Amino acid sequence: MPPLSAEDRLRRVLAIVPWVAAHDGPTIAEVCTRFAVSEKELLADLELLWMCGLHPYTPDMLIEVEIADGRVWIRYAEYFRRPLRLTPAEGLALVAAGQTLLATPGADPEGPLARGLAKVAKALGIDDPDALDIDLGAAEEATLATLRRAVDEHRAVDVSYYSFGRDEWTDRVVEPHAVFNAAGQWYMSGRCRRVDDDRLFRVDRIRSAALTGETFTPPKEAPDLAVFSPRDDDPRIVLDLAPEAAWVIGQYPVESVEERGDGTTRVRLAVSETPWLERLLLRLGPHATLVEGDVDAACRAARRVLARYGR
Amino acid sequence: MARIERLINLTATLLDADRFLTRDEVVERVPGYGGTPESVRRAFERDKETLRELGVPVETGMVDPTNEDSPEGYRIPRRAYELPDPGLDPDELAAIHLAARTVRLPGAESTEALWKLGGKPATGDPLAPSAMPLPTRAELPGAEHLVDLFQAWGERRTVAFTYRSQARTVDPWRLSFRNGHWYLFGRDHAADDERNFRLDRIESAVDIGTKANAFERPAQADAGTGDSPPWLLGGEAEAIAATLRVDADQAGWTTSFLGPESVVERTPDGSIVVEVPVTNRDAFRSFVLGYLDHAELLAPVELRAEFVAYLEDVCRR
Repeated sequence: MPPLSAEDRLRRVLAIVPWVAAHDGPTIAEVCTRFAVSEKELLADLELLWMCGLHPYTPDMLIEVEIADGRVWIRYAEYFRRPLRLTPAEGLALVAAGQTLLATPGADPEGPLARGLAKVAKALGIDDPDALDIDLGAAEEATLATLRRAVDEHRAVDVSYYSFGRDEWTDRVVEPHAVFNAAGQWYMSGRCRRVDDDRLFRVDRIRSAALTGETFTPPKEAPDLAVFSPRDDDPRIVLDLAPEAAWVIGQYPVESVEERGDGTTRVRLAVSETPWLERLLLRLGPHATLVEGDVDAACRAARRVLARYGR
Repeated sequence: MARIERLINLTATLLDADRFLTRDEVVERVPGYGGTPESVRRAFERDKETLRELGVPVETGMVDPTNEDSPEGYRIPRRAYELPDPGLDPDELAAIHLAARTVRLPGAESTEALWKLGGKPATGDPLAPSAMPLPTRAELPGAEHLVDLFQAWGERRTVAFTYRSQARTVDPWRLSFRNGHWYLFGRDHAADDERNFRLDRIESAVDIGTKANAFERPAQADAGTGDSPPWLLGGEAEAIAATLRVDADQAGWTTSFLGPESVVERTPDGSIVVEVPVTNRDAFRSFVLGYLDHAELLAPVELRAEFVAYLEDVCRR
């Protein structure tokens, strides 16, 4: 690990000193665990404090650090009796993390997390932490619980899955590696036995999930939690977007963006499945023109939908 | 003397001061500032900046407030510096650690926040997997302005920014994350009404008001359309009730997405009819198009006609 900058070290010291001072001789080992520092780093920090205190730095004005029998005491550091307030970014990190887990289906609204978060919010001066509101997207609680259990017990699951891109339902047996949420969607990643390859499944498109009796050996490497990565052989399309359709650039992984003087933007993106392209083109309607790719896709899809309306 | 020691002593000195100390007084009391007056000044300015970047509230003020020629000085007020003790029980602290470890939000690191709460407690995870279906990880996207708006939201300060080319002044009632985006919901002063703002569409820096507790936050139940789907954001003042027939194979997720109360008819073949209030017709059309030919917009008649005309236009282009 690279040596910490003076700033990072100061942050740590200003947090460790009040904690140790408030406790009667905690063990060095406990302090190291709490603050995720090595014993060497901690001893270096403590050594530093021997020179610290107030003018004129006579022995009675210095912070007292005593180390004995694997324990540590800090005294006469009254000005460091409390840690520094949280910065807004740090407050956000805690409140958002807490609210996110509490938004998980099945979370206990009166459990230790909810109680702890309410106390932290109060210390931060926040009147109502629930006014920061996280919606992780639709997912059946029972389905999530089944998948989670399958991950923990390394058991294959039988799922009925709707592939949005291909617009079809299939039954598959999957060896789930992880259940996670990314950008407000629940996903299960795992090996799909049907295609004998790793796949990502959206939990809200799983109609039913049942544990099987079969177990599997989970991969040694941590699962790849990337949400979308186009394959090299996926077809590419080129679209000219009017300003009203510029949101496409932020929403999808476009591979190139070219401003075209006339106010339109030309983008290139990968398309793995036709229905996905049809939806995109129908939604964009008059605000986009397909320059390269299946130029009849939009009209073909429109006619199929219109057939339902007797047209 | 190493800079880290100078910074610790500087912090201690300014925290201990019962009045503003001039720079000369500070460098006299804190060892390690040497060299020419100019290099002393530069080193002190740099240290002061470092402390402020860490979030240390170094205040500036008149050393003698009764004398208008008094020099400027510095101090760190304890009540602004100190984190009040939240009084967390070990299981609560452990739960917060677990949350911070599970959830990632770019631009909001939790490591130092956890140090300040006393680090990781020795007790094990209090949340058994069976008690809570925990994700391996939850990743929220970051957003520009989120930290600033979080501060204003928490401290109830009015904010000002540009949105859709208009200068807005807003009381930030609520911050929410849904459908993959961060939103601000609150009272827009000029409109004297509640409005939703998508953070990534804010067009300027966010100016945070100087006054804390500048407004009362309404209770959640009164906070109106904070959770509205896109087709209830903007558009017309009066909502129309749109009905949509959804095929059986799309009925499951539609019911959980719109809520079971939206289902007004269930057919033996498994298809359903849902009724949805709509103000923003464009947003609702996009939603219906997502079904391709697995749904049919039934009513009102003029909405259905608009939908058909839109699709016919696609083929004329």
